[in-house]
Amino acid sequence: MFTLLRDLRRIRRGLDLPGPARGGSLAVRHVDAGSCNGCEHELTLTSAPAYDLQRFGIGVVASPRHADVLFVTGAVTNRMREPLLTAYAAMPEPRRVAAVGDCALGCGVLGSASELAGPVEDLLPVDLRLPGCPPDPAAIAAALLTLIGQ
Amino acid sequence: MTANVVGMLRPRGAGGRGPDGPGAPRGGGEDPRSYRDRVEAALAAGRRFAGLHVGAGGDVVRTLLVAPDGTAELIGTSVDDGAVPSIVDLVPAATWDEREAWDRFGIAFDGHHPLRPLLDHSGSVSWTVPVLGADVYQVAVGPIHAGVIESGHFRFHLVGDRILQVDARLFYKHRGLEPAAENEPFDVGLAHAGRACAACTVSNSVAYATAWEQILGLVPTPGLARARTVLLELERVWSHLNDIAAICAGVGLAAGNARFADLTDRARRLNALLSGHRFAFGSVRIGRSEIEADTETVDGIRDGLIRIQEEFTRSWRELVFNPSFTDRMPGVGVVDAAQAVLLGTTGPAARAAGLAEDVRAASPGLSYPGFEAVVPTRADGDVRARFEQRSLELEQSFGLLLGLLDGPLESALAEPGAPSRQIGIGLVESPRGRTSCVVERAGARAAGSDGSRERSRDGSRDDEHRIARWRLRTGSYANWPSVAFAAAGNLLPDFPLINKSFELCYSCVDR
Ligand code: SF4
Repeated sequence: MFTLLRDLRRIRRGLDLPGPARGGSLAVRHVDAGSCNGCEHELTLTSAPAYDLQRFGIGVVASPRHADVLFVTGAVTNRMREPLLTAYAAMPEPRRVAAVGDCALGCGVLGSASELAGPVEDLLPVDLRLPGCPPDPAAIAAALLTLIGQ
Repeated sequence: MTANVVGMLRPRGAGGRGPDGPGAPRGGGEDPRSYRDRVEAALAAGRRFAGLHVGAGGDVVRTLLVAPDGTAELIGTSVDDGAVPSIVDLVPAATWDEREAWDRFGIAFDGHHPLRPLLDHSGSVSWTVPVLGADVYQVAVGPIHAGVIESGHFRFHLVGDRILQVDARLFYKHRGLEPAAENEPFDVGLAHAGRACAACTVSNSVAYATAWEQILGLVPTPGLARARTVLLELERVWSHLNDIAAICAGVGLAAGNARFADLTDRARRLNALLSGHRFAFGSVRIGRSEIEADTETVDGIRDGLIRIQEEFTRSWRELVFNPSFTDRMPGVGVVDAAQAVLLGTTGPAARAAGLAEDVRAASPGLSYPGFEAVVPTRADGDVRARFEQRSLELEQSFGLLLGLLDGPLESALAEPGAPSRQIGIGLVESPRGRTSCVVERAGARAAGSDGSRERSRDGSRDDEHRIARWRLRTGSYANWPSVAFAAAGNLLPDFPLINKSFELCYSCVDR
């Protein structure tokens, strides 16, 4: 176990992200509104040692009731429209919406028009737009950092 | 991998239901009366169910069966008065496929009762299995989950913490990818197959491209086989590393999760080094490969891989000597070999139950000389076996990759060398198991029966290269019923762990 923990400290060296000494925090609720799973896989890695968003006070929370930011990935399918709106309605003010990935932004979406309700912008007020297919963990980390204190 | 389609697919112009009839079978034909017998005989001969689809005209249903030597067979039955005979009693693995065919095409399956909705969320018919008895209660989870997880719904039927039954309702992410590419040129279908799922993008793309190459009578050259095999194995490496991280997360072992998440990240960087994309989106083409990597790049990937392998070995040792972690796994979430055969379990989950089955052992279009499936010494089909299976397969993939990365990668082609067909079948061992892609092409077949007709390799717009119908059935799709089966009888707090030990995708199931 010691080896594992020592490794974790070493891994982070040489990254561009700022040092962790800053104020504020951000509680993020992720909603997969119909992604290909690419945006999720990269978001997951923002908690990996190289990026470790927790050290900036950014964490994924289990309920929208605890969230400052709704982090939406995917094209928004008809079937995910209601759950997405319900999650947003559950959030306390002030709340922000991040549309993450080209699909969420309505760019180059694949699928049948009759199955899709997106982009996110058509359903919710979007505060942060992060293009990319998918945006990589460093881009996601940098974008979330800009939301702290906003 | 190249499915030598026997029996049920005839070469072009070899008789059948008419000049344009879709892959009309010979022998038993599409006679509904003999359909079940033909399926039963194939199963008795050791073939495995690998998917069921509705033909382009909606008037035929075809079942795909695969032999251990990679030979694929389509057994068809014509649709009679909106119905065909069900085969779920012969092969329960067909359950989801038949439910999907009913939901999407309105085809009834005589003998499949009740035919519960799978894709259809309209709510008119119950989708859960009724669970009755004293003190049974339900817990509904999802579609939005507490972590960073794809959307899907689980309905647990419980007494106390004990799971009696769990029903999965997926397809919240249904984007209609298959119908969206119908009547479109073949390259449009490739984009849809590739974006069905980031975690299986290479596997799905290779399965789709292989199906088209079979239709066009193209055979991959060794260079093409090598490039694709490198991409497939890199996908397996990051995916299996990710699975181990997920299993650590499933028991709350943060240090293990972090260590393997980092290795996952580094494996994805190797993908980017090779293909310019961390998931290798767009790296697979039909009939060719455009991946180019000079000696320096290939050496860089090799070095990166060797470092990942070293750190993997060290970190793995740390994990398996951590009893509070390993004690969580034995005897939990069991699918044994006999159950795996019935359920259609595939990939690491099937091998962890002792079934030495792997599409790579019979993949002539790829570069797996002398490949043999590995199974763990304790092939108990439980969480521990599936966990240990990832390590065995990682070692195997590291070995394969270091062998393949022995020089620069150059663009390569598939060449004419087989009769063209109306239906193509691609089979790939994805990180989650056997993925099949069946493509039926549109329109009249081209004149020249001697096969001398010049083939277009790049998005030609004529009918020859249009999709009439395609179906992608991924390892995840095949394995979801096994997750539900494995969970029954276990404790609810173990469900995340059981689920992570399969670590299936939702996106390529929902499509
Ligand atoms: S933006 Fe790209 S990676 Fe993200 S969900 Fe869409 S297709 Fe997948």
